[in-house]
Amino acid sequence: MPRFTPSLSAIPPSLIIGLVGLPVCIALYAGLVGGDGATWDHILQNRLMPYTLTTLLTLFIAAVIMLGLAVPAAWIVTQYEFPGRNVFSWALILPLAMPGYVMAYAWADLMGVSGPLQSQIRDVTGLSARDYWFPNLFSTPGLAFVLASTLFPYVYITARAAFSMQTRATLEAARSLGASPLDLFWRVALPVALPAILGGLCLALMEAAADYGAADFLGVQTLGVGIVRSWTSFGEPNTAARLALMLVCIAFVFLIVARLYQGKSGVQQTSTRWLTPERSALSPSMAWLATLLCATILLLCFVAPIARLMWLAVETEARTTDLLPLLRSTLLLGLFGTALALCAALVFTLAAKRSRALRMGTRLIAAAGYAAPGAVLGLGALFFLRETGQPLAGIVAVALLVWVYVSRFTSAGVEPMQATLDRLPKNLDLAAQSLGSRGLRQFWQVDLPLILPGALAAGLILFVEILKELPATLMLRPFGWDTLAVKAHAYATDERLAQATLPSLMIVLAGLFPVLLLSWRLNQGERK
Amino acid sequence: MICKTRLIAGLSLLVGAVAACSSPSEPTTTAETTETAPRVLTLYSSRHYDSDKELYAMFEAETDARLEVREAGASQLLETMRAEGDQSPADIILAADAGSLWRFKDAGLTQALPSETLESLIPANYRAADGHWYGVARRMRGIAYDPTRWSAEDLATWPTLAMEDKAGEICVRSSSNIYNLSLMGELIHRLGAEAAQAWATAVVGNMARNPQGGDTDQIRAIAAGECSIAITNHYYWVRLSTSNSDADQQVAASTAFLFPEFSEGSGSHVNITGAAVTATADDLALAEEFLTYLLSETGQTYLTRETKELPLIDGAPLPEGVDALPALSPSDTALDIYGENQAEAQRLFDLAGWN
Repeated sequence: MPRFTPSLSAIPPSLIIGLVGLPVCIALYAGLVGGDGATWDHILQNRLMPYTLTTLLTLFIAAVIMLGLAVPAAWIVTQYEFPGRNVFSWALILPLAMPGYVMAYAWADLMGVSGPLQSQIRDVTGLSARDYWFPNLFSTPGLAFVLASTLFPYVYITARAAFSMQTRATLEAARSLGASPLDLFWRVALPVALPAILGGLCLALMEAAADYGAADFLGVQTLGVGIVRSWTSFGEPNTAARLALMLVCIAFVFLIVARLYQGKSGVQQTSTRWLTPERSALSPSMAWLATLLCATILLLCFVAPIARLMWLAVETEARTTDLLPLLRSTLLLGLFGTALALCAALVFTLAAKRSRALRMGTRLIAAAGYAAPGAVLGLGALFFLRETGQPLAGIVAVALLVWVYVSRFTSAGVEPMQATLDRLPKNLDLAAQSLGSRGLRQFWQVDLPLILPGALAAGLILFVEILKELPATLMLRPFGWDTLAVKAHAYATDERLAQATLPSLMIVLAGLFPVLLLSWRLNQGERK
Repeated sequence: MICKTRLIAGLSLLVGAVAACSSPSEPTTTAETTETAPRVLTLYSSRHYDSDKELYAMFEAETDARLEVREAGASQLLETMRAEGDQSPADIILAADAGSLWRFKDAGLTQALPSETLESLIPANYRAADGHWYGVARRMRGIAYDPTRWSAEDLATWPTLAMEDKAGEICVRSSSNIYNLSLMGELIHRLGAEAAQAWATAVVGNMARNPQGGDTDQIRAIAAGECSIAITNHYYWVRLSTSNSDADQQVAASTAFLFPEFSEGSGSHVNITGAAVTATADDLALAEEFLTYLLSETGQTYLTRETKELPLIDGAPLPEGVDALPALSPSDTALDIYGENQAEAQRLFDLAGWN
C-alpha cells in the first residue's frame, strides 16, 4: 500500500508547533526588531553582564541544592525501608504546590531581620541586629534556596521513577559482584538514572530562570528582574523582550547539553523484569537517619513556610474578600489550559517519535516558551492582539490567556510523556509496525495506551503550574476573572502579607489535590 | 476501544467547558450604550485595594451606571490599551503615581476633560494643566527614623542622607520601585542629573544592607536595630501604627516620621493617585461624574480610609492615624516631571549601583 500520508500527517503537528511557538516568537521578534533604543545601550553596557552572571549563579546553586535534596531522597525512598517511608514517598512532591513567590514571602518573613527567628535571637542574647551574623535570605544563595525548595520535586519525581524502573537484574548482578551500597548508588544506579534526572533538572532550571516574583521580592538582580524593569521603569517592552532572548538562549544550552548527554548514555531497558528492586532493611540507626533526612527536607520546603503563613493569617485576623469566585476562575482557567497544553504536549511527543529533527525542534520550541517569563509571553499575546483590533475582553481574553498557558507550559507536559516513552523498549514500536499498525490506528491502539501513564502525570503537573501562574494571568485575564494568584499578588504588592496568605494557602490547597493524585499515580506505577 | 470512549468523553467535557466559558456571564463592554442598557464605565486601575471595590459598588448604587474594572500594573495596562487601540473598552485610568499617568498621556492614550467642577475642587498642582489627568488622593515619600539616634534637623533634607554620618544607617527598597523612581525624578529636576547620580551613589554607600523587600520591611528593620533611617511612603508607617498587631504598633512607636525637603524651604516630595480619561472614552459626562464622586466626601473617605493616603480636598475627613504625621509643606514641582524623568532615574540608579 503506498504511503501518501507523510506530508498530510505532518500538518497537525506543524500547526500545533506553530501555535505553541507563536507568542514567544512574536515577542522575541518584536524585541529583535524594536528593542534597540537608548535603554538597550544602557543595559548592554551596564546591566547585561551582572544580570546574566547573577542568573547563572542562582541557577547553579539551585541545581546543586535540588540534586542534593532530590537524588538522595529518591534513592533511599526507592531502595530502603525506614519509618515513615510510605508517607515521605508522596509527601516530598508537596512543595510543587507552592508558588515560588509565596515561598519567598514566607521565608523572607521567617528569616528577615524582624522575623520570629532573629527576634528570638535578639530577645535571648540582648544583641542588636548588627551584632551577630545570620544567613541572609535576600541574596543570590537565598533566592536559589527559595526556588530550589519549590522546584526540587521535578528532580525527585524523575529520579524516583528512574531508580524504581531499574531492572532488578542489574542491581543484583552488581551486588553479587561485591558492590557496596554506596558503589551501587554511585557506579550503577546513578549513571543509569542520570539522563532522566537531568531531564527533570532541566525543567526545574528553566522554570527557575523564568522567575520574577521571588527574585524581585528578595532584591536579587536576575535577568527576570531586568526584563520586567526594562518594561516598567524604562517603559520599553521591546527591550524587555530582547532581554528575554538571553533566557531562551540559556534554556537552549541546558537542553542541548542534557540532550547530548542523554544521547550518549541513554540506556534501553529491554528486560521485561521491570519489577522494582526489593527494598532492603536498614540498621535502626541508619533507618532513623533516613527518616530524619526526609523529614528535614519536608520541614524546610513545605511545613515551615506553610505553618508560618497560617500563623500570620491567624495572628493578624486577616480578612479578605470572598475567595470562592476566585477559586472558580482559577480552576476553570487551570482546566482549559491543562486540556489544551496536554493535547499540544501529546502531539509534540508523538511527533518527536517520527524524526530526530522534529524531536529536537519541538523540544526547543516548548523550551523557549517555558524559559521565557510569563510577562514576555503576555507581551507576545498583546502584540498579536494589536494586529486583530479586538478589545481584551470576554472570549478573546480567555483564548489569549489559555494560548499563553499552552505556550508557556507545554514543555512541562512533554517531559513526563517523553520519559515514559523513553523507558519503553523500541521493539514495541517495531512489533506494532510489523503487524501492519501505522497512522491513526497505531496512535489509538499502541501509542496512546503506552503514553497514558505519562500523560496523566503531565496533566497533573500542568494543572499545578497553571494554578500558580501569575504574570500572564494578571495581564490577560478578562473582566471579573481574578484568580487566587492575582489576589495574593494584589495584597502582597500592597505589603499586606497576612492577607496575602489566605489566597496563597488556597492556591496550595487547590494544588495539593492534583499533587496527591500524582503521587498516588506514581506509587501505582512503581508497584506494577 | 475503551481508550477511544474515554478520549471522546474527555473531548466532549472539554468542549462543554469551553462553551460554558463563552457563555455570556461575563458581558463584553463594547457597544453597549444603547438607550435602555445601563451606562457602563470601564476602569483600568493599577490600584488593588478592597476598599476601592466598596467605593465602586457605592457609585453604582447611587447612579444608574455599571463599572467594569481591570486591575493590573500600570505598564501592563498601558500595553493592553496600546494593543486594543481604538477598540479599547477603557474609559478611565486610575494610577497610583503621577509618572504613570504621564506615560499614558505621553502615549496618546488619554484625552483632556475640561471640567470647571474638577478644576475648582483640585488645587492646580495636583492636576495636569491641560486637563489630561486629575489627582484624587496624595501619597508622600518620607523618612522613618530612630528618634534616639537622630533629630529631625539631622534629616531635614534629602541631601542629608548622602552625608558621611549616615554611613551604614539607611534601609531602602529596590530602585525599580515606582516611588523611588518618582523621588529620583524630582531630584534630577532640582539638582541636575550629575548631582542626582552623586546623591544616589552616596546613599548606596550609606546603606545598611542591599535594597530588598517593601517599605514596611524597612521600617521594621529600624525597630530591629539593623538601620536607623528608612525611606518609605507615609502610609506604610501609619498602617503599622494603626495595625491590629501589638508588635506592629510597637514598631511604629519606636520610630518617628518626617517629610524631608530638597533644600530649605523647597517643600517636600508629593505624589498622587490620579485618574485620566482615555482617548477612547465616549461618555465624558459619566467620566466626569465618576471623578467628581471620587472627590466627594464619600469618595475621599473610601479612597483613603484603608490605604491611609491623604485626601486631596481640604476639609475631607482624615483617615485614622495620619494626624500623627508632621505638617506637610508640599513642593511645587509639576508632577509630570516624574514621568518625564522616569527612565533617566532608573539609568542613574543603575549607574549608582542601587539595585
